[in-house]
Amino acid sequence: MAEFDLEIVTPDGLMFSGKAESLKVRTVTGDVCILPNHINYLTALGMGEAKIVSEGVARRAACIGGMLSVRDNRVRLVPTTFEWSDEIDPARAERARQAAEEKLSHRDTLSDQELAVAEAKLKRALVRRSVAGMK
Amino acid sequence: MKDIKLRIRSMESTRQITKAMEMVAASKLRRAQENVARSRPYFEILYTTVCDIASGSDSFTSRYLEAREVKRSCYVVIAGDRGLAGGYNHNVLKLAEAEMAGKNAAVVPIGKKSVENFRAHGFDILTDAWWEAGDVSVSDCFTMAKDLCARFLAGELDEVNIVYTNFVSILTQQPTVIPVLPLHGPEVRGEEPGSETLYEPGSEAVFDAIVPEYLGGLIYGALCESRASEQGARRTAMDSATKNAEEMIGDLSLKYNRARQGAITQEITEIVAGSTAS
Repeated sequence: MAEFDLEIVTPDGLMFSGKAESLKVRTVTGDVCILPNHINYLTALGMGEAKIVSEGVARRAACIGGMLSVRDNRVRLVPTTFEWSDEIDPARAERARQAAEEKLSHRDTLSDQELAVAEAKLKRALVRRSVAGMK
Repeated sequence: MKDIKLRIRSMESTRQITKAMEMVAASKLRRAQENVARSRPYFEILYTTVCDIASGSDSFTSRYLEAREVKRSCYVVIAGDRGLAGGYNHNVLKLAEAEMAGKNAAVVPIGKKSVENFRAHGFDILTDAWWEAGDVSVSDCFTMAKDLCARFLAGELDEVNIVYTNFVSILTQQPTVIPVLPLHGPEVRGEEPGSETLYEPGSEAVFDAIVPEYLGGLIYGALCESRASEQGARRTAMDSATKNAEEMIGDLSLKYNRARQGAITQEITEIVAGSTAS
């Protein structure tokens, strides 16, 4: 089966480097799936689930922010945070969700910036929870 | 004799302190080094990717790419929180001040020493929210980057530079300035014909989303390097301080022993002289 080179790096280090058969990620405009020999491509990532098929095995991860670049069949995924589904602690994600919702429940007292932070936290927690929950 | 004894004792306690600081710095350095090693691939891939885009950008323009006449520049200066790290803080701050000389510059200081220095010298400080370099997290870097990008786009700032200390090795740390905005593609790069890139949802939108990310990544990388450098510099400085203290203790003990010996000899001579006289 055709493959491409995939590198996934975050500020916390190299998460994946090797051959992959397909990569599905959520971009700012919606989900895209990259297959081998894709045209050179560049986009910004949104918040969502990433699915990587490598050597016939599919792995899922929570992938948030950053960018995706394809150049000459080399794919680089550079997210802000990236966690494999088996590394997420569902209980922690759930707690983070509750804390964020709690904060948002009295939104009148928050400044714009605090509101944005809380909303981002909630979204992140929801993504992580859904990725972890569907093992 | 008593004087010497006292001095030896005080030297010993100094040595103990510097020795302990050295060991703390050494263990922190190990952690900081791991951090640098982990964040470097990210730093590099981010940088090459953005350079690739910038160099292949004939087909479109972005406000991030235009070099404008520089009316106001901004320097993000990363230094340490504490002193006693040899020339670490001094070197990076001196470089920053030399860079800013004669320019209408605003500063974003990171680290206590950096904040104090620029405040004392009356520089135009954009924000001093990042008081402790040790506490700045990845998300702080991204917040900062977003803010800087917004100001850049609004025309408030015409260029952005980062001044930090590059961690070359445990023994060498190099204060460095890197220009980050406007983006510079590498000067000459063999532009392969027909390598067109698809941007979604559009080149400019992609750029607007990616550049703050890129800047945040760079700041974080620089911060990791600076932290490792700080510990490296402190370890070296404390190591030589300990050595100096040991040397002084050696000298002083020699003096002390000589004085003691002298006193004993004198006493014996006196006794002998007394007994022969009687």
